[in-house]
Amino acid sequence: MALTGLRILDFTRLGFGAQATLICGCLGADVIRVESTRHPDPIRVMPPFVPEPGGRGEGFGAATLAHATGAASANRGGIFYKYNTGGKRSITVDARHPKGLGLLKDLVSVSDVVTESFAAGTLERWGLGYDVLREIRPEIIYVSMCGFGHTGPDSSHVTMGPTAQALTGLTFLVGLPDRAPAGWSFSYLDHVGGYLGAVAILAGLLHRRKTGEGQHLDVSQLEPATALSGALLLDSILNNRPNRRPDFPTGNRRRYPPTAPGGAYRAAGSDNWVVISCRTEAQWEALVAVMGRPPWTADPRFGSLAGRFEHADKLDELIGTWTAGRDRYEVMDILQGAGVPAGVVQDAADRLERDPQLAARGHFTPLSNGEVGPLPLEGVPFRMSATPPRTGGFIDRGPPLLGGDTTDVLGELLGLSAGEVGALAEEGVLS
Amino acid sequence: MTAPDGAALGGVRVLELTDESADYCGRLLAGLGADVVKAEPPGGSAARSVGPFLDDRPGSDRSLAFWADNVGKRSIVVEDDEEVLTLATAADVVVHTLRPAEAAARGLTYEELSGRRPGLIVCAVTPFGQDGPWADYLADDLVLMALGGSMAGCGYGPGPDGTYDTAPLAALGDQAWRTASTYAAIAVLAALVWRDGSESKTGPRGQFIDVSGHECSASMTEWHLMTYLCSGEPYRRGPHPTLTAGDGRLVAALTPDFLGPHVFRRMLEMLEAEDVAGALSDPAFADPGHRAENYGEVWRALKRLAQKHTAEELYRLGQSAGLPWGVIRAPDEVLADAHLAARGHFVDVGAPLLDRTVPYPGAPFVASRSTWVMDRPPPRLGEHDDEVRADWCAP
Repeated sequence: MALTGLRILDFTRLGFGAQATLICGCLGADVIRVESTRHPDPIRVMPPFVPEPGGRGEGFGAATLAHATGAASANRGGIFYKYNTGGKRSITVDARHPKGLGLLKDLVSVSDVVTESFAAGTLERWGLGYDVLREIRPEIIYVSMCGFGHTGPDSSHVTMGPTAQALTGLTFLVGLPDRAPAGWSFSYLDHVGGYLGAVAILAGLLHRRKTGEGQHLDVSQLEPATALSGALLLDSILNNRPNRRPDFPTGNRRRYPPTAPGGAYRAAGSDNWVVISCRTEAQWEALVAVMGRPPWTADPRFGSLAGRFEHADKLDELIGTWTAGRDRYEVMDILQGAGVPAGVVQDAADRLERDPQLAARGHFTPLSNGEVGPLPLEGVPFRMSATPPRTGGFIDRGPPLLGGDTTDVLGELLGLSAGEVGALAEEGVLS
Repeated sequence: MTAPDGAALGGVRVLELTDESADYCGRLLAGLGADVVKAEPPGGSAARSVGPFLDDRPGSDRSLAFWADNVGKRSIVVEDDEEVLTLATAADVVVHTLRPAEAAARGLTYEELSGRRPGLIVCAVTPFGQDGPWADYLADDLVLMALGGSMAGCGYGPGPDGTYDTAPLAALGDQAWRTASTYAAIAVLAALVWRDGSESKTGPRGQFIDVSGHECSASMTEWHLMTYLCSGEPYRRGPHPTLTAGDGRLVAALTPDFLGPHVFRRMLEMLEAEDVAGALSDPAFADPGHRAENYGEVWRALKRLAQKHTAEELYRLGQSAGLPWGVIRAPDEVLADAHLAARGHFVDVGAPLLDRTVPYPGAPFVASRSTWVMDRPPPRLGEHDDEVRADWCAP
């Protein structure tokens, strides 16, 4: 694999930081998660929980309102499984115990990269700030991933995905005109922040390859998002067209390039939708033919793309009368067969159970870890011909049990015997 | 171009044959210091015809969509694909958006490209990847957002009877394509790390990277997949909680109780200091179970707080209590953020056709050693014909 032989000492928690090291793990890096039994990663102990074999789990929903009581196993938190495949290993070490700190420093000395997602200043307080890391290993690549980054007037602010999405303009981009934004129902920026965290790790490696230098790469959850709104900044500045205006955002309607029909249309079923998106005459002609040339399609208002775009509300209504009552996958397949871009609005169940493309591409990899699984998990969504990524990482395994690799890792990397590890555990160092 | 010594990709040459779906990949690689050359047909690449346009007047150098994703690159007009192959012999990486059939028809398959240049890294970004039953299907960003699952999870909530009167919504801004472009950049970087690895070399170490927009889109919905796996019920769309401040602006107002009891405790202290805590001061609310059953009281208190303040004040009050709150801004309102300014985020770069600079989003992270390179305006069509031929094709 591309990153075989690379070692990442990984202090990340929640989604944002863990997404970055997930990518590196799927590319072959040895990612060693440093965890705590007393303060487990919140996504280990919060719903939704992976059900016991044969049982039924518990949804996220209202249960998030109450802190998980501790009754939950640290190995059943569902969201943990989203972000911690990639062959990650888990050790538990108490960084506040002098011997624990010593172990961590020893691990730094045999690692290439240190990643973390605590509030700015946390690692310094433990005695593991970048200055210390650099002293232990001058060429270490230190990648911090916290909401607002480590510098700047608001660096003490905290984020979760939706916070960063609000502040960077992304929440604003989901909504109908003249209504409050609907926003995202998930932490898109946990993913995007993590992608840029992976870019930072890889850039740090390439930089070190050239110069021998290590460095601190400070990733926030804000900066990775600002370029995601494309031309909107330039349109506002150069065309004097502020983004906040009555006819914007435009729901599913795309003006650049103009697309008509373009949007989601109701299909058979209670809340089933299919997207159709035409931007050329040929696509429109093909759509008209598939629909059997109903008389309304000859309406002169729909005779050009400009006309169709101008009268899109009426057009959408008429297209909807054709899709209504039809099976959403049949609509997609028949239109795609005729050269019209179309796609089912798929939820998670559809992706897992009805999407032949994801199945054929091996998008989901069933993985287990001894206690949970097999579960169909996702790694990196691309292929490399010479160095194929693996969702189970270099050890080809599901997400780690809390502390499940402590003995192995301390033995393999620091030469500690099982007896020595046992003694450290007795002293409370490995908690 | 002289490669900046302090940039991670200084000295790396990237030949780009992309349309608007994957131009963002090269923008990231250019920022990391690569010399990204966009090979365009005489009429210009596809993104040049995508609006909005400068002064709303179309023109090959006037597309702001092109500017946004091509800042930092150079442009060369190529007459035919033989010239593309010639340029490829001087490149480390080729990024393209050719469907398999088109690559074959044009003689630009991985085999042909790497035959000219052993060790070449070739990255293809396509809607569905190189194979599979949907490989020949067509998609724009909206189709990918639908199939990938983001869309099913976004939109306005159902009415009281549980039915939806509005469609699921996809975000604007080509988010599925941007995720695919970012993954493409990650894969290219990983391929470079491996190519230049210190292990003993066994011949040229190039490879072919196959990025599927659909798979990228499918993997970015955070907890939705796991919720279904755990509960057997797919998530039903609806917005995240927001508060309307006294000035009418909205604040995303998460109250992440699941992080621990300190979250409510600090929130309560803040609400009491603001004199709006009401029933929450009842010690019974310290119990998460009681709180969950009576969450309406929490929201009533937060709404009282919101009415007293502007959105900016409310955001900062929440943050002062450790809550991950944020004002809902439009993208252009982010430009005024003092925190990002202090981190040097937005960078003024020249603009084609104009005697002025424009702020662009700059480095996606702050690196202590690696320079983020943002010193080149978006290229006019063919602006660097002579320069690139001299740099890349000189004997």
